[in-house]
Amino acid sequence: MAVLQNKKSKVSDEVPTSSMADIAFLLLIFFLVTTTFPKDSGLAVVLPEPGEEAQVSQRNILHLSILPSGLVDVKRGESTQIQQVRPNDVEAIWRQGVTENPNLIAAVKTHPNAPYKFMVDVLDALQTAGAERISLQILEG
Amino acid sequence: MGIKRGGFERKSKASDEIPSSSLADIAFLLLIFFMVTTVFRASKDRPIEWAAAEASEKIDEKREDILHVWVERNGEIWVNDRVITMTTLSNIVAPLYAASDRRLVISLRADTDVPYQYVDQVQKELQEANVIRVVFATVLERRMTRERR
Repeated sequence: MAVLQNKKSKVSDEVPTSSMADIAFLLLIFFLVTTTFPKDSGLAVVLPEPGEEAQVSQRNILHLSILPSGLVDVKRGESTQIQQVRPNDVEAIWRQGVTENPNLIAAVKTHPNAPYKFMVDVLDALQTAGAERISLQILEG
Repeated sequence: MGIKRGGFERKSKASDEIPSSSLADIAFLLLIFFMVTTVFRASKDRPIEWAAAEASEKIDEKREDILHVWVERNGEIWVNDRVITMTTLSNIVAPLYAASDRRLVISLRADTDVPYQYVDQVQKELQEANVIRVVFATVLERRMTRERR
């Protein structure tokens, strides 16, 4: 029995450090993989330069008046007929209009008190339909 | 002069294992390096209700070339963590535009329910500062959510 007590323990008295690197690399790789940098996204437009005003024939303008209720008054070019639609329907109206007249320009006129989201909905519908010539104005009168 | 043992037979004292004791140091060094060099966005987000759009596109610009202009529901304008008045916006944006070598893009972040007149005034101020590239910041909307509305 005395012999046994004298025998040195085989268990090391040091903290095992061989797996430290594995743990550190695991953390490193975890954070490298999970880090996502939030990228800005949105609807890009280019505003006209100050003083830049293009004369456009009434025939080529699609008037879209956004009302505070969110409804959109659509008026095609020279016609005086006004059609009231929802923002989502603008996409189809643009697609139809541009096949009839490839030079069509969308004039989006928003009422000063209309919530911003309705204007975004209309702009979204236009951009989804591939419209590039969009004029953003405020509804006057 | 007897030959004790052949030199070639002698076992090398160098370990045949790759020294792994410094591996942890290397890993931590990398970890600390990335922790220190990572820069998070300079300005804090304002609490707004985000507009959603299906046609949202990622802005293909460097982060430092994007300026966030926040328009809150009550019409307050925030730029770089400061509330500003509408009429000073062009004076604030113009020097930033010049400093960015005319690459500056405005990410306009307006609350969904803000009356459009504020957004229109912001646009006019930006035009005055000659900054014509504007992005109406939106979150991507999927067809599914749109149909449910």
